[in-house]
Amino acid sequence: MNSLDLISMGLRNLYRRKARTLLTVLGVVIGTAAIVVMLSLGIGMNERSEKQIRSMGSLNIIEVNNYGMYNESGRSSQSSVLDDKAVSQFSNMEGVEAATPMLETYLKLVSGKYVAYTQLIGIDTRVMSAFDYKVSEGRLLQEGEANAIVAGVNIPYNFYNPKSGNSFRGFYMGGSGEEKPPVDIMNDKLELTFDMSYGEKRPPGGTGDNSQNKPAKLYKIKVAGLLAQSNDEKDYNIYMDINQLKKMMKEYERSRSPQERRRNTHQQQESYNRVLVKVKEIKDVDAVQEKIKQMGFGTFSLSDIRKSMQEQARTIQMVLGGIGAISLLIAALGITNTMIMSIYERTREIGVMKVLGCMLGDIRRLFLFEAGMIGLMGGIAGIAFSVGASALLNYVGGGFMEAGGIYMGDPSEKISVIPLWLILSSVGFAVLIGLVSGFYPARRAMKLSALEAIKTE
Amino acid sequence: MEAIIELSGIRKVYRVGNEKVVALDNVDLSIEKGELCCLLGTSGSGKSTLLNLMAGLEKPTRGQIQIKDTYVEKLNEKKLAVFRQNYIGFVFQSYNLLPTLTALENVSLPLAFKGVPRSIRDKKAKAMLEAVGLGSHFKRKPSQMSGGQQQRVGIARAFVSRPEIVFADEPTGNLDSKTTKDVMGLITAMARQNSQTLIIVTHDISIAAYADKIIHILDGNIEKTEITTPTGVERG
Repeated sequence: MNSLDLISMGLRNLYRRKARTLLTVLGVVIGTAAIVVMLSLGIGMNERSEKQIRSMGSLNIIEVNNYGMYNESGRSSQSSVLDDKAVSQFSNMEGVEAATPMLETYLKLVSGKYVAYTQLIGIDTRVMSAFDYKVSEGRLLQEGEANAIVAGVNIPYNFYNPKSGNSFRGFYMGGSGEEKPPVDIMNDKLELTFDMSYGEKRPPGGTGDNSQNKPAKLYKIKVAGLLAQSNDEKDYNIYMDINQLKKMMKEYERSRSPQERRRNTHQQQESYNRVLVKVKEIKDVDAVQEKIKQMGFGTFSLSDIRKSMQEQARTIQMVLGGIGAISLLIAALGITNTMIMSIYERTREIGVMKVLGCMLGDIRRLFLFEAGMIGLMGGIAGIAFSVGASALLNYVGGGFMEAGGIYMGDPSEKISVIPLWLILSSVGFAVLIGLVSGFYPARRAMKLSALEAIKTE
Repeated sequence: MEAIIELSGIRKVYRVGNEKVVALDNVDLSIEKGELCCLLGTSGSGKSTLLNLMAGLEKPTRGQIQIKDTYVEKLNEKKLAVFRQNYIGFVFQSYNLLPTLTALENVSLPLAFKGVPRSIRDKKAKAMLEAVGLGSHFKRKPSQMSGGQQQRVGIARAFVSRPEIVFADEPTGNLDSKTTKDVMGLITAMARQNSQTLIIVTHDISIAAYADKIIHILDGNIEKTEITTPTGVERG
């Protein structure tokens, strides 16, 4: 019997018992839809958290710090100093694309009558672009470039006029304020000083410190570029070539009184607050992070968060998928039941076919085809239903979840996502379920005694 | 004439609960090629069992069934299917047409099982249906036909692949006397036309009259074998 005949015969048998076929298919529809919708919720959740993590920064950057510098014996280990040696060790590690020290200091930007407190970070300018520094205006820093900075997008709003009353206006405005910032940092003259009290109204009488120290030097600088908005710390810092910053800091140290220098010892050696390590491939992040930890440093990367979030999502997905799987299991029993019923009804027919010389394999194929077909139809209809249900969930549910206090971020974000692989694999799975369910009935039909069958009146 | 079917020492015992029922005791039988043969007996005589054994539907408890060069009792299910495709046609008492298929499809079914392409088997099946006088009923489903018409379709189906042997188990058991006459005339004419061997099982002596040879079966044994001149159809 050729396949075409088999198919046409099978379809006709299904069509003959329309109501029963429909009901069985409906069972598969519900089962498939249950699995797909449940999984789509899990996938949607996963995608949302993934996006959220991405918005927090790059996944393949590891931050190395000194906080966890105690090894198991509880003593500070010798190697865990974040110095240039450590940085070069990091950058030579397998899978590491780049590493940069982060030398942080706090100082004041001055532009005419406006000033701004800001964090200045010295960074290896050669690898800036590797660490996702992108400018929206101007350009990134060049190696060894003196007196040039790039500024975070919120920096212009930090400026205020210390002589006028409302000093901290800028802090609360953030970068999204509709007001123009008081300083056009790309074009206005800009200076930098370590003197935190520069430009402030001096308290009457003054303090001893101020009278002893000559005023800190003002460095003329220009802004090479304004960073693009990233929603992380980059928005709030300014960046400079690390070697230039070191020079400036040394100069400042020298200019200060010895007492003050002693008070401020932690920054004296060539050790950094933080080092950023960029890993080429996200999959290598864990390995590199582990290696760095073994060297006695504390590490942090978004992949830590991601991992736990993924684990959580997987658990939820399993639970949801399991609920769906139960309904599909019931659908599978429905298919088996339908096919067995069908054998009882068609016992005679099967017998006649055998007597007329139908090959046993063909009988089995016929029944398997019918069962598989129920699975296929149910799978396709189930997917169609799921896509509709998913669209409805995204349309109605988005607002609902927002109202329920769950942060949805971008309103275009979906709570239910059905990727193509899910569509294909669930249809495939439905067919497989059909075939598996049909296996026993098909075998039974095949083994049916032709004689008994035709005797049945 | 050569024997196409040879039965020797056939015994068939059924076990019903703890009791043994001897359906066939000891049967030796030879049927020649092209013969119209009738197995005549009352219900329970063992005639149907004999037919089933010859068609390979069940296995004898003892004895040999040789059809052409094949020992039917030794064939497995798969080989039996091929054997049936090639040598055997079957006409049933209750027609046994597949209800989902049209007359044409029912007739071409044995060819479909053999894997004959649709165009060829449709042509053959149409010719067969025309031969049984149902040229205008190709598209009818069994439920849209009378008993006589259904049996004609059944006959067309049995003969469509030109098997050397056609078995007919009470082919007119469900038909009225007029239709019986038509059907018997048709079935014997067809068998004779291609000198096919026809084996009819019946309890009706008037049906037996169509045969060349009547084998009377009683209590699992051949009571007597009668060579007759058929009355129903002219020999020619």
